[in-house]
Amino acid sequence: MPRFVAQIPIAQPMSKVDQFESVFRAALKDPFEYKPLEIKRAMLVTDLQVDQANLLAEELKSFVESAICGAVSTWATVPGAEYKTTVELLARVEHEKPDLIIAYRNLKSEAWKYPHSLGEFLDVLLQLTSAPVLVIPHPDAGYAADHSLGACKSVLAMTDHLANDYRLVSAAASFTEKGGKLILSHVEDQAVFDRYMEAISKIPQIDTDEARALLTNQLRKGPSDYIESCRTVLSERTLALDVRAQVTFGSNLAEYKSILEKDPIDLLVMRTKDHDQLAMHGQAYPLAVEMRAIPLLMI
Amino acid sequence: MNILSTAIESAHATSEVSQGVTLFFTFYLVAMIFCLALEEKLHAKKSLIVGLFAVGALIIGTTFHIIPFGAMMLPGGHAIEIPVYIPAIDWGVIAIIVGSSVFVDVTSRSGLFTWIAVKLTKASKGDPQTLLWLYGIMTVVFSAVLNNVTAMIIVGSLTAVSLGKLERTDKLLGFLLIEGLLTNIGGLLTLISSVPNIIVGNAAGISFLTFFVKASPYVFAATLLTIWMGAKVFKIKRLTTPEERETALTKVNSFDENDGIESAGFFWFGTLMLVAFIGVIATASVMPFVRDLGMGYVALAFALIMLIRFKNEVDQFYKAVDWDLIGFFMALFVVINVLEHAQVLALIGKGLSVIIGDVENALGTGALLVSAAGFSSVTDNIPLAAMLAKILGSTGTPGESPLWWAVIFGANLGGNLTPIGSASTLVAVTIIHKYKLPMSFGGFVVKALPYALIQIALATAYVLIFLR
Repeated sequence: MPRFVAQIPIAQPMSKVDQFESVFRAALKDPFEYKPLEIKRAMLVTDLQVDQANLLAEELKSFVESAICGAVSTWATVPGAEYKTTVELLARVEHEKPDLIIAYRNLKSEAWKYPHSLGEFLDVLLQLTSAPVLVIPHPDAGYAADHSLGACKSVLAMTDHLANDYRLVSAAASFTEKGGKLILSHVEDQAVFDRYMEAISKIPQIDTDEARALLTNQLRKGPSDYIESCRTVLSERTLALDVRAQVTFGSNLAEYKSILEKDPIDLLVMRTKDHDQLAMHGQAYPLAVEMRAIPLLMI
Repeated sequence: MNILSTAIESAHATSEVSQGVTLFFTFYLVAMIFCLALEEKLHAKKSLIVGLFAVGALIIGTTFHIIPFGAMMLPGGHAIEIPVYIPAIDWGVIAIIVGSSVFVDVTSRSGLFTWIAVKLTKASKGDPQTLLWLYGIMTVVFSAVLNNVTAMIIVGSLTAVSLGKLERTDKLLGFLLIEGLLTNIGGLLTLISSVPNIIVGNAAGISFLTFFVKASPYVFAATLLTIWMGAKVFKIKRLTTPEERETALTKVNSFDENDGIESAGFFWFGTLMLVAFIGVIATASVMPFVRDLGMGYVALAFALIMLIRFKNEVDQFYKAVDWDLIGFFMALFVVINVLEHAQVLALIGKGLSVIIGDVENALGTGALLVSAAGFSSVTDNIPLAAMLAKILGSTGTPGESPLWWAVIFGANLGGNLTPIGSASTLVAVTIIHKYKLPMSFGGFVVKALPYALIQIALATAYVLIFLR
């Protein structure tokens, strides 16, 4: 940068440039783009005997086809005897090339009795395959909700970064039965927000109350605008869904537990892939471990 | 008729000043201009630099007994004691600047300007060349209606955001440069579009409507020429394939023009008030009662009416007024007043008569325009305009003389020769650097020179052919 510009005290025009850039950036809203999930090939991974696996497959086929309002042309069922290691399971996935994988927690383990982990097989399926994974309550456990795997009339899509997440919303919409309720939720982490506000409260140049109000408003506005766009687009596609918005501040886990307690949810849809790491998305893991009573669709 | 000589003689008749004092204050003026040119090196604001020169000029002028003290006679025959530096300031100009800036600031809160900007962006359908034409025209209109710095800030920031969205940041430099150059052309459209226009127009007694009628054909031609050249030089072309057009359309359609509108009622009120403001300013010189109160009254009145919407936070808008600029003007008027008493303006007038000749002629008018442009390219065009307006006014130059227009066109267009020639081109360069695009002082001059030379040549021809 030439020195003549670097030394010019132009704080006022530049702060106004920033001010107008903010106005125009705020006006820039990526509209929701509906790209429905196309599920022609599904693959059920179990640790059951062949007969039990086939029975489960029948039940799930009805659930999935009813949810997506369409038929699954190829259905592969993998009983427990057909794989021993995660490498073998991945090879099978590679061979089947499914559009949807269905599995449950703690395959080939007794750890499903405790809400502590997902198990190595599900971990690998979630992280190393590109297909969405439908995680169902463990067939041997008694903790599945009464309405679980019945109909898919009430679907909750959750994220901490809902805006522009067209894949998540499309998947959730695809799995909501016609006339069903689609709740699009965004929970802003209250603890993180409080930590930033505490830092701001120690900066004399920033008015803390004003910053809190503006930041809160802006953090709510992005997802709210996006949900409005989702509602419009889904309505234009005549999907006849009752799209509802749930934009809050709080702790992810507590907020979702609270929603699930208030309203019977048939399917919880969340993102799991984290492009920055091999491990699952930080907030998806604890939710996937704890929300064991209903099916989860993990994108 | 030797209009300059006549006025210089009359100026001499009013005050006896030694040649030494005149020469001292001439050097004083040169020192002030030098300090203003080195503003960035001194790390000092204009108002402080000129304010200190005003303080010095007053005390030195008093010491030399060149400043007339005493009671002032008001129109009703009432004499009042008033500090000598108060009547030195052109309060009409100050009122226009303060009123207009508050009015524009409050109106922009209605979301009107961003609505227009986003609507035009969408109208371009994301085609870069259409975008250049629309942004170029918007720059000129905003510069004319608002002021050139605000116009550059609005259009420049939108350009950066929209080209980023369209993934055309390689064209950002060309867009910003062309917009920067167009701010100074837009600044020529109306009497209130730039400070030199206000100062010179007021001194010459040019009405808003006359100014617009005489300046607009040039602004129209120069705008078209500048944008056309810009598209050629910076290779800003139309989209060719249907896929490119569809992608671009989707991207610009993601702008929501209504996002910045907090209240539909205030939006329409702001629109109505802006139209009314332009209408009243345009007819202020013929409107009964208003013509006696002047344009400053109109600007302040409209600003206050708009402030009713934000009655409990008006102080925020007072803070937004560029008090550095206001302080600079006030101090500048004081310095010029002292220089007038010291016969410096008469001396410069003699120098000017060498350039423009004893009688008004084409060569002299053209030379005045070119030299005004050259001078304003390296220093602030406001002192230049104020000084030349004072000199032309004191020499009894008639309002219809092309010399006034030579000063107006030269002072405005000179800003396009260098990045420090005008505040708006400086804002353009600053946005360019914000986005880490390469642009040195010399680089700006090389890129802007062809445009500036053509604009100045066109202006000279226009003034000589149509305004003589």
